[in-house]
Amino acid sequence: MKTPRDLLFARHQAAGPRLDAIRRDVMAAEFNHQDTKAQSWPVVFMSWCLGGFNRLWLELVWPCRRVWTGLAAVWVFLLIINVAQRDHSPVIIAQSQPTVAMLLAFRDQEKILNELLADHSQPTEADRPRNFAPKPRSEISGTVII
Amino acid sequence: MPEVADIEQLPVAQARAGEPAAWDALFRRYQLPLYVYVFELVRDEQAGLDIVQETFIAAVRHLGGLRENAKFGSWLFGIAHQKCIQRWRKRKEILFDEIPESPDEFDDSPDDLLVRREQEAEFMNLLNQLPLPQRSVLLLHFVEDFSLEEIARITETQLGTVKSRLHYAKKSLRKLLEEKK
Repeated sequence: MKTPRDLLFARHQAAGPRLDAIRRDVMAAEFNHQDTKAQSWPVVFMSWCLGGFNRLWLELVWPCRRVWTGLAAVWVFLLIINVAQRDHSPVIIAQSQPTVAMLLAFRDQEKILNELLADHSQPTEADRPRNFAPKPRSEISGTVII
Repeated sequence: MPEVADIEQLPVAQARAGEPAAWDALFRRYQLPLYVYVFELVRDEQAGLDIVQETFIAAVRHLGGLRENAKFGSWLFGIAHQKCIQRWRKRKEILFDEIPESPDEFDDSPDDLLVRREQEAEFMNLLNQLPLPQRSVLLLHFVEDFSLEEIARITETQLGTVKSRLHYAKKSLRKLLEEKK
């Protein structure tokens, strides 16, 4: 008579060598990297970054991959809409011919702008000071009657 | 064959300190029970070996998540169980069949079911006929003699559900074995 445990273990005893190999592989993979003290710091930094990225991927992204994929799809959709709208508007402007009224209005605006931006550093004729002799305030002549 | 009784002497504290020798001892202790459990669930040799390897790697990387050293065994089996579930989900197998009522009487020893030599092949065949959740609970009970609480923690189910599954699994096995006599 055997217990179920004995029976199960006896049945899988043949897997022992393969399990030993797996154990050795895991030990080599997980503990050999502890010898990185001898390695140069860029290599250590790179492996640290990759390890961090891998951990982020496994713990943050991979478990919620459907949610992330959905969000990414929404962003791509929004980006496509944005790009499509942006590209379309200049084409319309380039293709449409300006009307005569628009040209006239544009010239008027240009003229006004030129007047406004004209160089005012040199005084004009109107601004130049004139020789001014003040006259008496009253219109009475200068004769004095005593 | 690894002894269930020597769990207390496991060098979990040394493993926490990153001692490779401690990890080697822990892996040596659990590699066969873990493989037996996983293989009997997934029924695929290569998949079983892959899951054992993934479990070991995850254990080394996430030992910080283990709160009590004494629960290392159930923690390790919990990782393996999750890996099996992931595999089942990929295959879209049915995982959970709930057995509503919980039995009042319960026999808690894995050795109360003895198998005669001529029944061995039959026993394994019958074990494989059990639904996955029942098989999972029964294997944890047989292989490591985990307590009901530990099995509940490993399989992430209610204690009552574990009790029911174990009771009905044993009952089915006994019945089938008696029928084959």
